[in-house]
Amino acid sequence: MDIFQSVLYGFQVAMQPLNLIYCFFGVLIGTLVGVLPGLGPAAAIALLLPTTFKATPVSGVIMLAGIYYGAMYGGSTTSILVNIPGEAASVVTCIDGYQMARKGRAGPALGISAFGSFIAGTISVIALTLVGPLLAGIALRFGPPEFFSLMIVGIMVLTFLSSGSMLKALMMAAVGLTLGGAGMDSISGKYRFTFNIQALLDGVGLVPVVMGLFGIAEVIENLETEIKREILTAKIKNLLPNLKDWAESIWAIIRGTILGFFLGIIPGGGAIVASFASYAIEKKVSKHPEEFGKGAIAGVAGPEAANNAAAGSSFIPLLTLGIPSNAVMAIFLGALMIHGLQPGPLLMTRAPDIFWGTIVSMYIGNGMLLVLNLPLIPLWVMVLRVPYYLLYPLILLFCMIGAYSIGNNTADVIIMLIFGIVGYLLRKFRYDAPPLVLALVLGGELESSLRQSLMLSRGDFSIFVTRPITLGFLIVALLLLIVPIITQRKKLSALEESP
Amino acid sequence: MGKVDRISGIFWLCFAVLMIIQSYRLGLGTLHKPGPGFLFFWVNIVLGIMSLVVLIRAWVGKKGEGAQPAIFGRQNIPKIIFVLISLFLYALLMETVGFIPVTLLLFIFLLGIIEKKRWYYTAFVSIVVTVISYLIFETWLQSQLPKGLLGFLRF
Repeated sequence: MDIFQSVLYGFQVAMQPLNLIYCFFGVLIGTLVGVLPGLGPAAAIALLLPTTFKATPVSGVIMLAGIYYGAMYGGSTTSILVNIPGEAASVVTCIDGYQMARKGRAGPALGISAFGSFIAGTISVIALTLVGPLLAGIALRFGPPEFFSLMIVGIMVLTFLSSGSMLKALMMAAVGLTLGGAGMDSISGKYRFTFNIQALLDGVGLVPVVMGLFGIAEVIENLETEIKREILTAKIKNLLPNLKDWAESIWAIIRGTILGFFLGIIPGGGAIVASFASYAIEKKVSKHPEEFGKGAIAGVAGPEAANNAAAGSSFIPLLTLGIPSNAVMAIFLGALMIHGLQPGPLLMTRAPDIFWGTIVSMYIGNGMLLVLNLPLIPLWVMVLRVPYYLLYPLILLFCMIGAYSIGNNTADVIIMLIFGIVGYLLRKFRYDAPPLVLALVLGGELESSLRQSLMLSRGDFSIFVTRPITLGFLIVALLLLIVPIITQRKKLSALEESP
Repeated sequence: MGKVDRISGIFWLCFAVLMIIQSYRLGLGTLHKPGPGFLFFWVNIVLGIMSLVVLIRAWVGKKGEGAQPAIFGRQNIPKIIFVLISLFLYALLMETVGFIPVTLLLFIFLLGIIEKKRWYYTAFVSIVVTVISYLIFETWLQSQLPKGLLGFLRF
C-alpha cells in the first residue's frame, strides 16, 4: 500500500460512526482533563482505560489518543483564565496568557492558542503520516542489541530532562526497572521479587501504578494546601484574533510546530519540554523581548503550537518502534498491550486499522477540537468553578473504580493506593516519577533484548559496540550522562573561584 | 536538602541491598546465558552506589545550612491520613459490602465529616454521585462492580 491508499483506508476506519463518537468523547474528555488542574493526561488515560475494554481496540485507541491531544488544547484555557496550568505542558502559557487576560485580551489569547494548536496538530499529524512508515521500515531491521540501546537512550533522555536532580531521576529509573522485574520471568519461568504475595505473582501492573503515582498522589498533595483560584469574571469577547495578532504569532506558530515535532519524536522529550523551548526561542528572536511576560501574543502562540505538535509526533516512536517517549505514551503502550496489540515496526502491517485509523482520527479530532473549543469556552469556565472539595472525592472515586475494573479484583486497588502514597512521598523527597514509569514499562523488553543480545553474541559485550546503530545510540546515552557532570563541575569551580 | 536526602538515601540503599540479595538468590547465570537475576543484580548495585552518593552529598553539605523547613506541612496531615484510611477501607470492603453502600459511605464521610458540609448537601451529593457512577460504570460500561450486600437485588 502506498501512503495515499493507506490514508484513504485510515479515513474509512476513522469515519465509521462509532469511531467518530469515540473520537469525539476522547477529545471532549481530554479537553476537560486539560482544563481541570490536578488531573493530567497520564492519570486520565490510565483511569479511563477500563472504559475502553468493551470497545473494539481501534475505537479504544482512538479515544485514548483523543484524550492526550485534547488535554493539550484544554490546558491553555486554565493557564490563560486562572493562571494555574491545567496540565504541565501549559505552564509557560500562564506567563503571557494570563497577562493578556488581565489586559482584557483573554479572547484573542484563547483564540490564538486554539488556532495555533490546530495548525500545529494538523501539520504534526501530516508529518507523522509521512515519517511513520519510513521509520517503521528502518526499525524492521533492528535486532535485540539495537532495541536495547534505543531503550537505554530513551531512559537517559528522560532522566536528562527531568526537572530535579539527574542522579535522583536515574535512581527512579533503576527502581522502575526492578519493579518491572516482579512476577514471572518469561525466559526461565521463575518467580521474581514476589515475596510470597499473591498480588505480585502477575507482576506490578502499569495502570494501578500510574493511577497511584499521578492520580492519587496529586490529590493527596493538593489536600495539603487549599488551592485558591481566582477566575477572571469579565466577559470573554473577540475570540478571533485580529490581523495584527496573526502577524505577530504566525511565525511563532510555525517555529513552535517544527520544534515541537522534533522534540516529540525524541524519546524522553515531549510536550512539556517543547513548550518551554519554544517560549525561550520566541523571546530570543522577538523584536520586542521586553513585552514577554507582559502579555506578548507570540509567547502564547509558540508554546501552545509546540506542545500540540509534540503530542502528535510523540506517537511516532510508540507506533513505529514500540518505544514510548514519555509517561503518557508509556501508559498508551500499556493500553495497546491490554487490547492485545504489540506496538512496534510490525504494527503497521499486522494491524493497519489501528495504525492508520488512529493517525487519521487525529486529523478529525483536531478539527473537532477547534470547533468544540471556541464555543465551549464558557462551559469550561463553569467547570473551573467546581470547588475542589467536590472535585477530589470524584477523582478518587474514578481512580478506585478504574483500578478495580482492570481485573475485577481489589488487589489492583490496593496497589494503586500504595503507589499513591509512594508518589506523594517521592514528590516530598524531590524524586521524579516519570523515569520510574518509563523504566517500568520498558523493563520487560529491555531485559529480554539484553539477554537475547548476550545469547546472540555468546556472552560477548562487544556486540554493543560493533554494530553501528547500537554504538551510535550508546554514545548518545553516554553523552547525556557525561554532559551534566561536566557542566556541574564547571559551575562548582566557577563558584569556588568567585569570592 | 540535607534531611530529605538523608532519609531517602538510606531508604533506597536498603531497597537496593534487599534487591541485590534477592537477585543473587535467583541466579545470575553466566554471560553466555544470563539468569533471571542478572539485570536486576547490576541495576541495584548501581542504585546502591547512587543512593550512597545522595547520602554522602547530604552529609557533606550539612555544614553551614541553617534551619531546614519541615518535610511535611503540619496543618493538613490528619486530613490526608483520614482520607487515605477511608480509601483503604473502601478497597477492603468493596467486595463484601458492595459498590453502592460503600460509595455512599465514602462520600458521606468525605463531604460530611472531612469537609464538614451541611448534612442535606452531603446527602444529596452522595446519592447523586453514587447513582450516576453506578449507571455509567455498571449499566452503560458493564464494569461488573461488586454487588455485595445488595446482591439479592437484580438491577
